[in-house]
Amino acid sequence: MGMTPTAMIFDIQSFSVHDGPGCRTNVFFDGCPLRCRWCANPESQLHRRQLLFSERTCKWDQGCRACRSACSRGALDVNDEHMPRINRRICASCETIECVKSCAAEALREPVREMSVDDVMRVLTRDMRDWGSGGGVTFTGGEPLMQSDFLIEVLKRCHEKMIHTAIETSGFTSTERFLDVFSLLDFAFVDVKNMDEEAHRWGTGVSNEQVLTNIAALAHSDRWHGRLVLRQPTIAGYNDSDENAEKLIDFMNENDLFEINLLKFHRLGQTKWEQLGLTYEYADKGDMSDERMSELQDMYLDAGIACYIGDNTPF
Amino acid sequence: MDEKQARINQILETRGKFRSLDVQAGEGYEDEKFPEPSPRFTKLMDIYYVMKNTIDMEYPYWYNRVWWQNDGDLPEIRRAKAESAALTHMTPTIWPDELLVMNKTKNWRGAFCFPWVDASFFNAQAEALMNEADAPALSESDKMSVVAAGGGNVTKSYGNVVSIAQKFGLRKEEVPVLVKVAKYWDNCSVEVKTQQYSELLPEYKKYKAYRDSVLVMFDSWAIPQGREVMNYYLPLEYGFDRLSELCDEKIDEGLGKVEHGDGLLGMSRGYYYIAMKEIIHGLSQWAENYSKKAAQLASIEKDPRQKSDYEDIQIVMHNIAHKQPQSFREALQLTLLLHFATVNEDPQSGQSIGRLGQILDPFYEKDLREGKITEEEAIELLELYRIKITSIECFASSGVTGGVLSGNTFNNLGVGGLNYEGMSAVTPLEYLIVEAAGRAKTTQPTISVLYDEKLPEDFLLKCARVTKMGFGFPAYMNNQTGMNFMIRHYGEEGMGIEDARAWMLGGCLESSPGCFQPLHYDGKVTWIPGGAGPTAGTGVHFTGLPKLLELVLTNGVDKRTGIKVFEPHGHKLDTFEDLWAAWTEYLHECIEVSLKVNNIQMDVWGKMNPPVVTSLLKPDCFTKGQIETRMGARYMGTHNFESCGTVTFINAMTSLRKNVYDEKKYTLDEMVDAMLHNFGFKTAFETGVFSPDHREATELAPKYEKIFYDCVNAPKFGNADPYADQQMVDYQNHMTPYLYSLQSCYGTDYYMCQISVSTHGPQGAITLADAGGRLAGTTYSDGSVSAAAATDKNGIYAVFESATCYDHSRNQNAQMNVKIHPSAVKGAAGTRKLLDVIRAYMRRGGFHVQFNITSSQTLKAAQAKPEEYRDLMVRVAGFTQYWCEIGKPIQDEVIYRTEYDH
Repeated sequence: MGMTPTAMIFDIQSFSVHDGPGCRTNVFFDGCPLRCRWCANPESQLHRRQLLFSERTCKWDQGCRACRSACSRGALDVNDEHMPRINRRICASCETIECVKSCAAEALREPVREMSVDDVMRVLTRDMRDWGSGGGVTFTGGEPLMQSDFLIEVLKRCHEKMIHTAIETSGFTSTERFLDVFSLLDFAFVDVKNMDEEAHRWGTGVSNEQVLTNIAALAHSDRWHGRLVLRQPTIAGYNDSDENAEKLIDFMNENDLFEINLLKFHRLGQTKWEQLGLTYEYADKGDMSDERMSELQDMYLDAGIACYIGDNTPF
Repeated sequence: MDEKQARINQILETRGKFRSLDVQAGEGYEDEKFPEPSPRFTKLMDIYYVMKNTIDMEYPYWYNRVWWQNDGDLPEIRRAKAESAALTHMTPTIWPDELLVMNKTKNWRGAFCFPWVDASFFNAQAEALMNEADAPALSESDKMSVVAAGGGNVTKSYGNVVSIAQKFGLRKEEVPVLVKVAKYWDNCSVEVKTQQYSELLPEYKKYKAYRDSVLVMFDSWAIPQGREVMNYYLPLEYGFDRLSELCDEKIDEGLGKVEHGDGLLGMSRGYYYIAMKEIIHGLSQWAENYSKKAAQLASIEKDPRQKSDYEDIQIVMHNIAHKQPQSFREALQLTLLLHFATVNEDPQSGQSIGRLGQILDPFYEKDLREGKITEEEAIELLELYRIKITSIECFASSGVTGGVLSGNTFNNLGVGGLNYEGMSAVTPLEYLIVEAAGRAKTTQPTISVLYDEKLPEDFLLKCARVTKMGFGFPAYMNNQTGMNFMIRHYGEEGMGIEDARAWMLGGCLESSPGCFQPLHYDGKVTWIPGGAGPTAGTGVHFTGLPKLLELVLTNGVDKRTGIKVFEPHGHKLDTFEDLWAAWTEYLHECIEVSLKVNNIQMDVWGKMNPPVVTSLLKPDCFTKGQIETRMGARYMGTHNFESCGTVTFINAMTSLRKNVYDEKKYTLDEMVDAMLHNFGFKTAFETGVFSPDHREATELAPKYEKIFYDCVNAPKFGNADPYADQQMVDYQNHMTPYLYSLQSCYGTDYYMCQISVSTHGPQGAITLADAGGRLAGTTYSDGSVSAAAATDKNGIYAVFESATCYDHSRNQNAQMNVKIHPSAVKGAAGTRKLLDVIRAYMRRGGFHVQFNITSSQTLKAAQAKPEEYRDLMVRVAGFTQYWCEIGKPIQDEVIYRTEYDH
């Protein structure tokens, strides 16, 4: 027997309704090759164990000191004056996470778990009768393409069971891999964060060349039979210019693509940056007005591209 | 659909290669809003919002007077005369802008006391009342029930108004009437008599201990009717005049005549029809009084529109006083009259309206066809109907009002299900009932969809659209599961497939038997459904399963009060099987003792206070010539055992099994020690916060940190974890056959009723911490199959998987509460997704699911500033209530329930 692939998964959410058609189960893959400065799931960037700490859930103010007594390394400092302070330099080498195993409030969490294809399929086959018509599974993250061997195995199994499959991806992988995965998918959101190569590199840490190449290859591939919707987290001062929109429209028209979903920048991930002990660069910038979102939508519509704002989508 | 969406659809139409895939052609993505309610509704609701709950003495005064005038008469005839007199002497009140008239009393939000049922409450306070003081709480249950302070509740005396039971206001000048009327019943109320006979039981002391420790909440006599389904058939078919003639005919042919095998019941037939003649006369005269009142108001009214309104009311009320209704409005008004008369005959809650849109559809369709009514006019009437039902108040002690009812009287209206022929029962009128509920924001009637795969999709989507508005209804009941339960339980009494199709919920979730009857109207016969059994919400009342487990671990002694509730069980508890055996022994003793007491209570009530309005309406009383409590109803096997805190109990057992018996991490003594010390935290009563989430540490906390973590993290029901779910299966497998071995006062088998209503608050309050990690004093789990608050970690589908780990048709009900963030079901696509969730649960055989689609932030804001959220409604157990009218423990619990918002 060859090695059965496993994957690092940081969450599986059922009844997910904004990531593809119908009611879905979302599988969140850990790890991402991009380093988006505004990322909403920063815990998934590093692809290794990470300690999350939620200030809101912590019961330090009600007198709980369980984590301090549990940690044998002295990495946690909490007293009547302040909530737990985590010395992440000490934590970085910890494999045993006693603190997580002491926290009944679940303020300290280590969400990533290693799952086999069977583990994931067990959840999906359990949920599949609950989705109703039109629903299915969405692979997201993190970046699901980073663990594509595993993903392909799961997709094959989904195909056997007639499960509708969708992906949310940055599209950042080799074209061959990209097409291998997409040939097994029914529905896809691919992010185009910025049409300008330099700006893309600044915002995400990688060039957009590979992403655009992959999308173009997909659009012209006879291996792809699904529905492709481009996605753009729209961030003021980064990718909300007319110029960026015009370039993207041209790109879409060249490739006969006609659906895009603009997601108004939100700050839902901010607490996670804080929980990881990191500074969030977008704490006070990037906000988009509804008016500007509407103007951008008009640009796409004028060009014959169906443009959806936020969760106001037909699926 | 706005302009942009039109453009998007155009693009998708021309460019899309996937038209069959995901796009619903032509559908708007945004929700279409329900239109505003009618101006009449809005005007009347503005008045309703400032109305206070009142106690009014007209009804009790006249009942009491005529009852004693007829001293010595047969009970059913005496009752009929007293009720008749009471109804016909109440002052008719008609409000400007009303189209439908009548309330329980002359006041809008009026209730009254029933001293012939329960006088001790008033007699104990006679002096205090006369001193205009607040009514102090009386029993242990009362102390533990926190009545909400907002809205229409009169929690404190003020000005000329005295507060009763922390909820109702009584005018000072009526206090002497109350005190004097109550005095008559000091030694002969149902409460006193049932008490006298119960005390003769050798086990009575045990029962008292259950009640004093609040292991068991409430007595049957306190609300002997309700949790059943109205049946409006006879007056709709015949009219009161013809019914009265029928009584004469029956008396002529049957009085004094007995047939072979009739036994003691034979002779009572004649007296039955004499009693029915009395009550029919009273009901008819009550309607006539409103007609006269309307005529008088019309004669002095200057405004022509209002004058014409009064004149219409005059005609409608006169017609229904005598004849079969001849229009939709008359029929609707008649059902209201019957409803009010029924809820006026005993303290009661949960008198379900039934499947009104199927019952009245023949009247509506005829009017519509003949151009006598438009859809909009019918919707307006249905909006006004909602105000009438919302205004039904029930007077009981504060334990019943706050603790059980949270102030709602659960008048449940059903839609959907199957008709007599087994086809979808949905009628055109039912679309309008749902529409009216979407426009007119009131708590009642709550709407239950009897979900069946045969129902039309557009109807279900319309229901889902109303559910999305966040009122907590419609809720969804599994029609097939309900029918299966009916046949399983009532088959013994001869129920077949047709009657099974007529089932409906009595009260919030008490699945009740029904039947179809042939209505002759509009030149055709329509088989209309209605209730066919007595109360399905009585028997052994709310029993706290976690409390029972606590008592096993404390060897029978209630640590909170020091009461010895049980004899020491003598089990070593050294294996899980031994623990289970000890628990079931205590459970059996508790149920069997309580059963005897409650059988006495229901039997004495039925003999002393035979229900007469109910005995007129409920099939087959009129056919058989028997009062309901003398086996008059078609199906009598309605009594049951009410459990509370099921999932809290399952979680506690599962944790004990894992931590003590399977993995042996702790000894049982260590576990009990931790529970007694509340895992080192302050109790909810010390902190005033009842939410399971609040944990204030004491100096003992470090000692229990580890055990607390292990208890909290033991497998929990609601995560599709077989380790925990098996405990539920074992519990169900034990209960079903056991309860079938017990007999109600009618000699019918018991079964399980798994609803807590609001008792999970007060019973949680008297329960110590448990092995599942729930802290002392905090609320139990709210439903009977939804996960305990915040313990479901694997999402809603995993909750569904656990919930349906046994066949729900074994029991009367199974309650699943789901909280969804409004953003998850936004837009037209969101409506479909909500229906997908409902359907998912129904397809798994889930019996019942209801939704709170309100964000926690909104609820918290409303808790802080109730005055700004006067019309905010939430789903509590099987009913919807104004947020500001429910008590704080239940508010905390609702906020804490897991919210699905992915």
